[in-house]
Amino acid sequence: MEPLIRMVGITKTFPGVKALDNISFDILPGEVHMLIGENGAGKSTLMKILSGVYQPTSGKIICNGHEYSELTTKTSQDEGIAIVYQELSVINELSILENLFVGKLMTKKRFGLPVVDYKGMLEKARTVLDQVGLKHDPSTLVGDLAIPDKQLCEIAKALVSGAKVIVLDEPTTSLTTSEVERLHGLIRELKKQGCGIVYISHKMKELHQIGDRITVLKDGTYVGTYPASEVTLDDLIRLMVGREISGTYFAEESAEELMTHPVIFEAKDITRADGTCRHVSFQLHEGEILGFAGLVGAGRTETMEAIFGAVPRQSGQVFLKGKELTIHEPYAAIKQGIGMLTEDRRKLGFAKNFSCKQNISLAPFIKTSTMGGLGGMLDPASEQKWADEQVAALSIKCTSPDQMTVNLSGGNQQKVILGKWMAAESEVLIFDEPTKGIDVGSKSEIYILMRRLAQQGKGVLMVSSEQTELLSVCDRIAVFRDGELKDILEGKTATEEEIVKISTGE
Amino acid sequence: MSEKKVEARKPFTFATYWQRFGTISILLLLLVVLAVAKPTSVFSATSIPQILRQSAVNILLALGEFFAILLGYIDLSVSAACGLTGMVAALLMRGGCPWVLACVAGVLCGTLIGACNGFLINKTGLHPFIITLGMQTIYFGLMLVISSSASVYGFPAGFSGFMNGNLFGFLPVGAIIALIAAGILWFFTTKTKAGRNLYALGGNREAAWYSGINVHRHQMLVYMISGTCAGLAGIVLTGRLNAAAPTAGTGYETYAIAATIIGGTSFFGGVGKIPGVVAGGLIIGIINYGMTVLMIDASMQKVVMGALIIIAVTLDHFVSKSSSK
Repeated sequence: MEPLIRMVGITKTFPGVKALDNISFDILPGEVHMLIGENGAGKSTLMKILSGVYQPTSGKIICNGHEYSELTTKTSQDEGIAIVYQELSVINELSILENLFVGKLMTKKRFGLPVVDYKGMLEKARTVLDQVGLKHDPSTLVGDLAIPDKQLCEIAKALVSGAKVIVLDEPTTSLTTSEVERLHGLIRELKKQGCGIVYISHKMKELHQIGDRITVLKDGTYVGTYPASEVTLDDLIRLMVGREISGTYFAEESAEELMTHPVIFEAKDITRADGTCRHVSFQLHEGEILGFAGLVGAGRTETMEAIFGAVPRQSGQVFLKGKELTIHEPYAAIKQGIGMLTEDRRKLGFAKNFSCKQNISLAPFIKTSTMGGLGGMLDPASEQKWADEQVAALSIKCTSPDQMTVNLSGGNQQKVILGKWMAAESEVLIFDEPTKGIDVGSKSEIYILMRRLAQQGKGVLMVSSEQTELLSVCDRIAVFRDGELKDILEGKTATEEEIVKISTGE
Repeated sequence: MSEKKVEARKPFTFATYWQRFGTISILLLLLVVLAVAKPTSVFSATSIPQILRQSAVNILLALGEFFAILLGYIDLSVSAACGLTGMVAALLMRGGCPWVLACVAGVLCGTLIGACNGFLINKTGLHPFIITLGMQTIYFGLMLVISSSASVYGFPAGFSGFMNGNLFGFLPVGAIIALIAAGILWFFTTKTKAGRNLYALGGNREAAWYSGINVHRHQMLVYMISGTCAGLAGIVLTGRLNAAAPTAGTGYETYAIAATIIGGTSFFGGVGKIPGVVAGGLIIGIINYGMTVLMIDASMQKVVMGALIIIAVTLDHFVSKSSSK
């Protein structure tokens, strides 16, 4: 079969770095081609060359019989290539219809003048929205849509422009299980119509669910392309990471034994005024990792925000080692030994104008400050010590602690944020989706760190939407539904089916 | 991936030079232009004190404005706060209050003005542009009310003598006040936790909140600093003119914002340094001084000033854009 697009011998160098080294990649009609690799392996760079954002240093791109030494965003679109980025590029202030046709409005002649053909666009929009299964009226503002629907809107936009090749960059990161099912159904439909799909994912499970062929990149080099049916997950992980990644990260003690340990942290009857979490109570024993499962919006993150004081709570008490804490803002939480790694790293995790050192010292400086955070002097010696210690302890890959955090890979940014709370000597750490968008190798490093913290007697709470990770890390798993904690399962024996059953109420 | 990457030494480019010495280069360039156009305007015994005297108010206002802009906000009321505090001090002196006490009261009045701004910004949650725009109008109005729309003059000899004196014969008292304020604020931004917190807030407000930095407390602090600086500027202005006009300070917020931006402060918050702001204030002062000695028509001065501000900021924008690539 003639490929829709063939990229041959693509090399891309940035000043001082070879981001891609002689990569070949092709996309057949009617296939889902998975593109995998650790963060920094070159997946995004390769796709940016395909979309014309970057121009390759050498190599060629062949589409529809045309041979290019480089693409521009315009030629890329003209050749039927569309990319749906992880950070969606829909415009919230416009309607679905306007988003679908943004930049390429259909026109008709009226009195010899071109005017916008709303009727024609509406017809086409209806067909396409039908195709992707987006049931909203085309005049709905995109800002009013939920994230999964925005994603569908973006795919519809690609179809409107007549895209034959659609690149999906980690499309399922913020989707629930049923939403993932819906998206995969749509992808199978598009396959039938002869579209070629490039699918970038960190979720190993998806590779065999949806992929036809799998291409592995590692450190900017081409490892190989394999039919999905002929490689196992373990093979792929070894190819990506270059080492075996062990399966589970449980405590050595059984759950019963852990339950006999003293309670180090307790939340009682946590309720928020907006009702997103109600009467949530749980206890955390020394040495255990407590997981929180549930659908997005079931109240897990909401409970954690209330405990941490980031959002006011209506009622509820929080105890650390038997002592009640008064927390009405994160400042008070930090002062009393609680830290929170937020889900949205870029938005809530670190200051983008700060170096690793400065980001790491934020929390310990606050912890030792006076007058509500206003009082106290900077202490450069301690700051340097905290940074050096954390960079070493967490093996943060940076040129020096003075490197800007924003320039690190996702996994290393997460480690900087973790370093901030370690330097503040937090007693209890809340991890909200700690491995979101992080590659397999860094994921396991983060699990190992969490386990080490638990062994050192720190409290570890872990919110995650990835059930496989909860089931391999957490000693107990609290399952949420509709703002309430429904049940607590034992991590070693629980199954995905059990969690799904409780979290969906079926 | 495992081996440690060695950071390539940044090549010396125009962009890296500009980032470090851009503001100071503009300053020197202006002096050279002025020296060529009219040598006596630079090489004379009175030129330096004159430039410093002209710059003191700009520097003080820019120092306050800097903190608002550092947070990614703005304070449009610094001009009116400057005028109002100067007027309060002037009226107190005319009413027989000892001049030192009147000056302290004027500065504290500035602090209070800043606290009002901060309170409203925190309580309403509106963008500070709106709040300080409204407050600017209120403060200018209050000035007219308390002065009955008439200039106030006739101050104690002690005040006039002190404010128009020179240290070592060339350092005007106003400039000394500005430099002391700059020194204290430089210490504050680089050595204290609260100062560091402001940079974090300017870089990412929400991340700062999740790191335990209380947004409201720091916003209040910032506007109180801004108000206090405006109060100092009001006293220096009243001293320099030896009178308090009912419209004093009008338009000064533009100079304060321009000086801050020319001084290398990012309009989006989180980036900037006090020495840059001082240089920015001096640049505005030199432009004003230069146009006066070159006999440029007063109305035309505004046109030139506006154009120069745009050129300086545009240049900075393009250079920092090309250096971030």
